[in-house]
Amino acid sequence: MKIVVCVKQVAALDDEFELREDGLGVDPDSLERDLNEWDSFSLEAALQLREQVGGDGHEVVAVTVGDEEAEDALLGCLARGADRAVRVWDEDVLARGDVLVTARALAAAVSREEPDLVLCGVQSSDAVNGATGTAVAGLLGLPRVAVVKQLEFDSAAGTVTVARELEGGLVERLRIALPALLTIQTGINEPGYATLRAIKQAREKPLEALEPSDLGLDPGELERVAGARLEAMAPPERGAGAEMLEGSPAEQANRILELVRERVTS
Amino acid sequence: MARDPKYDILFEPIQLGPKTLKNRFYQVPHCIGAGSEKPGFQAYHRGMKAEGGWGACCTEYCSIHPESDDTSRVSARIWDEGDVRNLAAMCDKLHEHGALAGIELWYGGPHAPCMESRATPRGPSQIASDFELNIFPRYMDQDDIDTVQQMYVDAALRARDAGFDIVYVYGAHAYLPFQFLSPFYNRRTDKYGGSFENRARFWRESLIKVREAVGDDCAIASRFAVDHLLGPTSIEVGEDGIRFVEYCDDVVDLWDFTVGDIAEWGQNAGPSRFFEENHEAPYTGQIKAGDHTNKPVVGVGRITNPDTMVAIIKSGQYDIIGAARPSISDPFLPNKIDEGRLDDIRECIGCNQCISRWEIGGPPMVCTQNATAGEEYRRGWHPEKFHKADNADKGVLIVGAGPAGMECAMVLGKRGMSAVHLVEAEKEIGGSVNWISQLGHSDGKENLFRGTARGLGEWKRIVNYRQIQLDKLRNVEVHTNSRLTAQDVLEYGAEIVVIATGCHFATDGMNAATHEPIPGADTSLDWQLTPDQVVAGSKKIGKRVLVLENEAYYMGASVAQKLAGEGHEVSLLTQAGDIASYMEYTLEAPMLHRDLHRLGVGIHPYTMVERLEQGVAHAYNVWNPEHKEQFEIDSVVLCTARISNDELYRELKSDKARLEQEGIEAVYVIGGAAAPRMIVDSIFDGHRLAREIDSPHPEMPLPFIRERRLWGETSNDDYLQQLQAASDVASPV
Repeated sequence: MKIVVCVKQVAALDDEFELREDGLGVDPDSLERDLNEWDSFSLEAALQLREQVGGDGHEVVAVTVGDEEAEDALLGCLARGADRAVRVWDEDVLARGDVLVTARALAAAVSREEPDLVLCGVQSSDAVNGATGTAVAGLLGLPRVAVVKQLEFDSAAGTVTVARELEGGLVERLRIALPALLTIQTGINEPGYATLRAIKQAREKPLEALEPSDLGLDPGELERVAGARLEAMAPPERGAGAEMLEGSPAEQANRILELVRERVTS
Repeated sequence: MARDPKYDILFEPIQLGPKTLKNRFYQVPHCIGAGSEKPGFQAYHRGMKAEGGWGACCTEYCSIHPESDDTSRVSARIWDEGDVRNLAAMCDKLHEHGALAGIELWYGGPHAPCMESRATPRGPSQIASDFELNIFPRYMDQDDIDTVQQMYVDAALRARDAGFDIVYVYGAHAYLPFQFLSPFYNRRTDKYGGSFENRARFWRESLIKVREAVGDDCAIASRFAVDHLLGPTSIEVGEDGIRFVEYCDDVVDLWDFTVGDIAEWGQNAGPSRFFEENHEAPYTGQIKAGDHTNKPVVGVGRITNPDTMVAIIKSGQYDIIGAARPSISDPFLPNKIDEGRLDDIRECIGCNQCISRWEIGGPPMVCTQNATAGEEYRRGWHPEKFHKADNADKGVLIVGAGPAGMECAMVLGKRGMSAVHLVEAEKEIGGSVNWISQLGHSDGKENLFRGTARGLGEWKRIVNYRQIQLDKLRNVEVHTNSRLTAQDVLEYGAEIVVIATGCHFATDGMNAATHEPIPGADTSLDWQLTPDQVVAGSKKIGKRVLVLENEAYYMGASVAQKLAGEGHEVSLLTQAGDIASYMEYTLEAPMLHRDLHRLGVGIHPYTMVERLEQGVAHAYNVWNPEHKEQFEIDSVVLCTARISNDELYRELKSDKARLEQEGIEAVYVIGGAAAPRMIVDSIFDGHRLAREIDSPHPEMPLPFIRERRLWGETSNDDYLQQLQAASDVASPV
């Protein structure tokens, strides 16, 4: 069984941050980078499936679209138990790409692996599009289930049974044949961690760095599929400001009550 | 990051007579165990606070003459030129950072037992000390009064020469000037007794004489308990409290307000289990806000929250935020507010461990939150600076994220180790603090004299601070819910392994009193519990509960408080002469006794359990074991011995060849896993190992500068410096 896990090295903002001079991003000095939280759960799901299947010949491959720094995320996946990692990047089209461009690059990398199962996170914590996984499934013509919070693999039948949580606490249960793509919700499992030895050994595992052309992707073609282009980034305009409540706790509580009533009735 | 403008008011200068205080942060006089005889300790401890932004720092109480000798407790002294020289070192350190130096001139009267000087203290009336055992003063006639006032003047002149900017005439905590003022001590019938003016005369005259001597060069301050908390017997804020401030307002440049006295000074240095932040406000808040003084006012109240500080100044309670404990816990509190780093503030937990060491009489002060307190000079530890370890390339695995493990991981992280993994078996880090912080709260409804039984919730700050710091350290990973076996540790890939797995309560009644288990004791039974099981709530506890405590600190009493507050009938037994003996030192005992009494807890000192059977505990009096007593009980809580969780450490150590084969160079054990101890000492242990992780034998503490006198030498023990770890404090002398 081969499982591909699509992961992303996300950026978290410091308490105070500055925008890049070109206005198209955040100054990298005010960013902390880490593996996307959702991807930590999808990796764990893949590792647990591999363990459940048991024996040799099974593989978990972590794939990302990202710059050289994103190798930290891949090394983290390798340390936790992924067998191989693939990184796709170029400083031009992919660096500027939107969801569709990224999905096309991921789809090409995934398709090369011919996996039985593809796992993605529901969304990334920085861009929060919630679209990449679905787009990859679309490009590869794979059945997909989004926001999976429970996952069981039936090796005899070659199917997975998944549960998704709907509104009002309703649970939808689906069985689908492989190959398929699932987007995984946080909380589906309890992600493990890598020991110091595993972190050291991760450096010995295969980590391929590819350019779009290595996957037969034409940069011009990639450029054309982009659905959206980043024009500018700006902090929100300051509003009228907050009202500071003064007075005794009782007076403050009364004012809060007033405000809530105003808002609720208006 | 920049300071939030709402805190600007805390950084406005203020004039104190001839001196300018650069901001509103003021370390009030407090003891540390240095005095004048450990000048390095004194200078570097106060100097660290000046570096951290405090606008002024004071000595502890400073004796003006051998007649006021507090041995075995450690005060500062300014008796002679030698003391001037030693205290000048502190002044210089403060001045380097633009802070003012204050000295609290002290004459104790009968509260000074003079055990070293063998002198006879003088007092307003011959009434024995209510603080010391059997110490009577000599009645002061007019000559005595003149003599003692001259002692103040001579001491003030020496203080000025040493470089002090603020000179106190210290009366608060019921020392000599206050003894004259209070009818509780003063039964005189001459011009120094009787009417308010007469009783205030000694203090006012002393202030005037000191002012005449040094007032042009130094700010004159006085520390005054605005309410003695003894009712009409003594000074009450609404009566002589306000009256005295108005009467002496023209002869001071700064008021330093407190409440209470030395006999129960936990009313001033309020422990968090009974007092919340700014707990003196009902008393000290009346003076400035009531327009009874035109002079700047400083005061305390374990104030760690900058918003509280602003509110205090705006309300007119104080002009200047005084701190003793918060400045020990975080010497860099002002700078952290200034730099907008509020989440880096190491807040005092109000455990009063610092105070306990002064109360014990000799040891240097310690701090649960700040393991570097008192170690600035003798070990060269800086609370905020950490030099990179020589063996920073090593990977470290720490097993157990209790107080010792968290501290060790944090300091190793700050020392730049390449990778530190802190692995915890439970879901949350914090270890025993997580359940201990739920103790000590009774019903919390009733006012106990002044405070309420709030419990140990603020102790959770131990975890909160470290959690935030660990989150920020990119070279530290914290993994919870992961219980490691010896095999896991061996294969972890760490070169350095630190075992910090804590300890547990004996399940069979093994105890320090008899050194044997108690027949019938077995906490696996549903009617017998260890203290942690009480908090966990996993067993139903019956109506009548016997709590046995042999550990002399808070555990037994806290469990009794909790259970009695929940409606159980509790008997608290101890083999010692009093329950919770150590809580005398932490100043928690008086309020604790009030709460236990209110809750109807039966206290049985000198009583030990001989045998337990369901329904009855058989006990005996330790002075006459034939004197038996039976307690009919439904449940029993055994706060007896604690035992290290050291199986993992022992197993790892048992196969040295395997350790070598796995590339493990060292295995250390710290905190409760090495030996059960107080949290303050567990944190120190974790910190100490991390500070010395690159020393030749990290398991053995490096020597420290003892500041002792060397026979035949005029210098002290500076030579030890060559044996010190590299210092993070600038150029020790």
